[in-house]
Parts: sequence; C-alpha cells; structure tokens
Amino acid sequence: MADTAMKPAKMISAPVNWKTWLGVAPFLLFAVLFLFLPSLRLVTASFTNPDGAFTLENVAQLVSEPFILNAYKLSIQISAITALGGGLLGFLMAYAVTVGGLPKPLRSMLITFSGVASNFAGVPLAFAFVATLGRQGFVTHILKDYFGLSLYDAGFNLYSFAGLSLVYMYFQFPLMVLIMAPALDGLKREWREAAENLGANTTQYWLKVALPVLLPSILGAMILLFGNAFGAYATAYALTGGRIGIVTIQIGAQIRGDVLYNPGLGYAMAIGMVVIMAVSLAGYSWLQAKTERWLK
Amino acid sequence: MSYLSLSNITKQYGDAVVVDNFNLEIAKGEFISFLGPSGCGKTTTLRMVAGFETPTSGRIMLDGEDITDKAPNQRTVGMIFQSYALFPNMTVAQNIGFGLSVRKESKEMIKQRVDEMIVLINLEKHAHKYPYQLSGGQQQRVSLARALAIHPQVLLLDEPLSALDAKIRVSLRSEIRAIQRKLGITAIFVTHDQEEALSISDRIVVMNAGLMEQVGTPFEIYNFPQTQFVANFVGSLNTVKAEVSDPAKGLVTVDGVQFITASDIKSRKKGDAIRISVRPERFSFAEIQKKDNVLDCTIENITFLGSVVRIQVKIGNSNFNMDTFNNPFLELPKIGSKERVTCSKEAVLVLDE
Repeated sequence: MADTAMKPAKMISAPVNWKTWLGVAPFLLFAVLFLFLPSLRLVTASFTNPDGAFTLENVAQLVSEPFILNAYKLSIQISAITALGGGLLGFLMAYAVTVGGLPKPLRSMLITFSGVASNFAGVPLAFAFVATLGRQGFVTHILKDYFGLSLYDAGFNLYSFAGLSLVYMYFQFPLMVLIMAPALDGLKREWREAAENLGANTTQYWLKVALPVLLPSILGAMILLFGNAFGAYATAYALTGGRIGIVTIQIGAQIRGDVLYNPGLGYAMAIGMVVIMAVSLAGYSWLQAKTERWLK
Repeated sequence: MSYLSLSNITKQYGDAVVVDNFNLEIAKGEFISFLGPSGCGKTTTLRMVAGFETPTSGRIMLDGEDITDKAPNQRTVGMIFQSYALFPNMTVAQNIGFGLSVRKESKEMIKQRVDEMIVLINLEKHAHKYPYQLSGGQQQRVSLARALAIHPQVLLLDEPLSALDAKIRVSLRSEIRAIQRKLGITAIFVTHDQEEALSISDRIVVMNAGLMEQVGTPFEIYNFPQTQFVANFVGSLNTVKAEVSDPAKGLVTVDGVQFITASDIKSRKKGDAIRISVRPERFSFAEIQKKDNVLDCTIENITFLGSVVRIQVKIGNSNFNMDTFNNPFLELPKIGSKERVTCSKEAVLVLDE
C-alpha cells in the first residue's frame, strides 16, 4: 500500500489591501496609547528619582529592601496558592459538569455563574465577603447562632492572608471552569473506550491519555490564574486596607504617597512584576512546547 | 461449535427496543458483517460484545465463557473505531504498545510485539510519528495494529472505513481481510455499505429496525434475499406488483405480461396479489431461446455508469432497469426502439413482505 502521509499545505499569502488595516487601526492605537507608551514610561520612570534625575537606586532597592522582597514573596505565594486551589476546584467542577455527566441544566448554571463570578472582583467582591464572612457577616452569625460555630474563635480571619486567599478563590475557580470546560469537552469518548478496550482502568486512562492531552490547557489556565491574582489590587486593598503588603499594594503606597512617596520605586516594582510574569510565561511556553509536541 | 454466541440479545432504552431478540453463532476465525441502515442496531450489538453496552436481556458467550457482565477492560476483545480513536499524545509505536503497557507486560515483550505489528501493517517508516502526521488510511491501520497487539479473541470493527476516501477504502478492506485470514482471528465488521459487506465477509447479518432480517453468505444474501428489505437494501432491484395466474406452474402476471418464477407459489391462490423482484443484471438481450421469460419491451432510457450501462425498459406498463457490462465494441439499442429481453425463472423472486 502506498504511503500517503499528509503534508502541511503551503500558506499562500494574498496581498493585503491597506483598507484592511483600517479595521485593526483602533486596536493598534489603543495598544500604543495604553500599553506601549505606559510600559515605556514605566521603564524610564524606574530609573528616575523624585527630582527627575537618572538613578539605579530604585532597581537596587528591589533586591535589597526586605519589605519589597517580602511583598514579592507574599504576592507569589497568594498567586500560586489561589492558582493551584482555584485551579483544582475549577477543574473538578468543570469535570463534574462535562465528563462527569451531571444534568445539563447544572452545566448551564455553572458556566453562567462562572462568567459572572470570574469578573466579580475589587470593592464589590470585598464587600460581599465582609457582609457574609466578616466579623459581623450574616453567615458568621448564622454559624454562631444556629450551629454554635464561631469562625473567628476557631482561628478564621477574613482579613488575613488565608482570608484574602479565600476571596481570591472566588474569582479564580470560575475562570478555571470557563477554560477547562471546553477542553474537557474536547476529550473524545472514543479515546476512553479505546483505552478500556485495550485493558486500561480509569486511573490508567487519566494518567496516560486524558491528563497528557489536557496538560497544555491546564498549564495555560494555571498561568492565567497566577497572573490574575498577581495583578489584583482593589480586592486586597478594599478587604485588608493595605495590612497585607502584596506588591500591588506596595506600589499603590509608593505612588499614592499618603505616607510613602517614591513613584520611581513604585514603577521599578511594577517592572519587577513584569519580569516575574515574563519568567512565568517563558516557563509556561517551555512546558507547553514539551507537552504539546504531538499537536499540529 | 460456535466460538462467539449471542443468545436472545435484546437492548432497550426506555420503551425503545434497539436490538430485538438477536441470536447468532459465530465460528472461530469467521468474518461476520453486520449490515443495515443507520439506527438498525448493528453498532449497539457490536458495543454489547465489546462491553460498552449491557444487554437488557440475553447472554454473550465467548469461547465457552459468559462475558455478558464483564467490564470492557476485562474482555480480550479488540475494537477499531470509525474515527480511529488513536491517542493523539502518543506515537504510532506507543499507541500500538498501549494495551500491552497497561497490562504490565515487559518492555522487551512490548517492543517485540510492537515491531511485529508495525511490520504487519507496513508502517515501518512511521513508527515515531504522531497520529496527526498520518493520513486517514494510515491511522486506521495503526488502529488495527493496536487492537491486534493484545492478541484479542475477537476483533470488532465499527465502520472502520467510513471516514476514508473510496480508493483507500477498497485497498484497506482487502488488507484487513488478508490480515484477518492470516491471523485466523474471529471478526465482526459493522457497515452500512453493502459492497463492503459483500466483498469482505464469510457471512452477513442484515439488520433492520433492531431485527435480524437474514443471515447468510454474501452469495446467498445477494442472490436469494428472503425479505423485501434485504432485496432492496442489498444491490439494485426491480420490484413490481403482480398477480398469481397459475400457482402450480409458477406463473404470474404483471399488467397483462406473463412471467414465470422458480419461487414456490403453490400455496398462493390464482388472483392473489404479490410482489416480484428481478435484479437489473439478470435481464439480458442475448440467448433468448434458452431463457424462461422472453419479454417484449421498449427502450426508455440509457444511462452510462462506467463499467456498467443501465438500460430502462418498459415491459407492458411497468418500467424495469437492466444492467449490462460496458463494452465499447457492442452497439447499444436506440432509445424508443422495440427489443426483446429475457431472464431466467430463477431470477424472478417472490419475496416475503
């Protein structure tokens, strides 16, 4: 029999009419005004002192000031924890409504909820949690009055690192649901049946087929979740009032200038965040290249 | 003695009966095709043998063992899917070795078996490629090798050629048959393509609406269909209403034109309404003196179909198709001309409704 392996078709690029560029012009303009120029300003301002002179002091402080290092540590911790926790919870929920075979209306409800909740952040989210799980929150009261369980006596504190992580989870896991549900839908029933037919049990199927197939999506989602938490400011500020010094809050403090005022240092810290995200994305790209080598 | 036995198999989803009292005995090494239209229950029956569906009632015995309630991964049954179902994250070699790997076979044994299978399907140069780098035909051959690698007791093929183009389909079906014969493996092949079933099978089970219509060799199914459905589904067929004119002599009348049939109509009464069927290729213009039915006709239309020329003739008031091999050196009749066609009495079938 003749071998007829498929070869990718050569791309033929048609000449692009200049009018076509008009369609993307608003986007390009937006990107220049609100992404490239601010980024440029960020870089130049990082090397400027409050008097406007060139300095390396801001960048040097990034690795020498304990409060800045601690801010990065806290931000990375909360981002990693909520990315992992939210990712796992979101994955399990997406699994339950897709492959798990729960009733279809439940899937619609979860996807709709996730669409809303993944964008529910900032002051409204902080207020919602204060109203439910704060010291005077109604859930806190219900648990205490009807079940005799005092959350705060048991060590829970909404305004702590753990509390902030819990609040972040509220928008993290829905994002994971939104990303993973279509990926799980993409698992073909025949793969599972073929694996079973060949003698595999459920664990073997998931370890050898399903998870490797899903891994690029999972990695992509996790990095997105990490970035989502890493850049969050308003939620943390509204909930803790700056008591938990994550990087975004420290940057705000340097630029707002109530007590501290060193915009140059704030910009340098922002550059540090960009570097951390860039390293994360590079790591993701490397892992993705390793795990997606079987894709077109 | 039968190797695979399906006894009184019924499958219901709620009130809908998808497979109804299916009985079949399959000998070891036999190649059986389930043939029928979409929704006739052929794939459901196959999936019950694989263990993906559980019969509502009935038993499935394989080599003397009752496997009805066994999980799919506890049966040694290889299955080939229409969509290939190759694992996209594995190379050809890894796909073929998957079944042995999950059965915890040794690495040496897996490598040896994978190499054997790759040679069997003639894909030595592609062992380290991923499925997306292969054509549909190559993917299906890998799927075949993967199913065979575990030494299955039965090979199940669920419309394995449907997604392939015509040429690959024909060559791959020959290859599947050759490999099945070489290994002597028992196989069940599901298809809705009558040509595929006729060309590849030892026996064909024609199914309709969950019921077995007829079981027989391709020769029997094509030449001696027992029901109207089988006659219509397998091959082209002329079917017309007729009236019994002499049951003892096998004479029937179609719009005043008399036909003689070899089918037994002695139990019918004169004047009974029946339906007779004649396959288009059973009519001919030649050797009129040797035939039982010699019929005056008018040529209504001629259609060139490549290797065959289909001629529509009017006999009495009824239209019939006749097929003749294309021969560029023979002159075809003209449209509108008066001719005589003939067919044997064995060609005139009286079918059960």
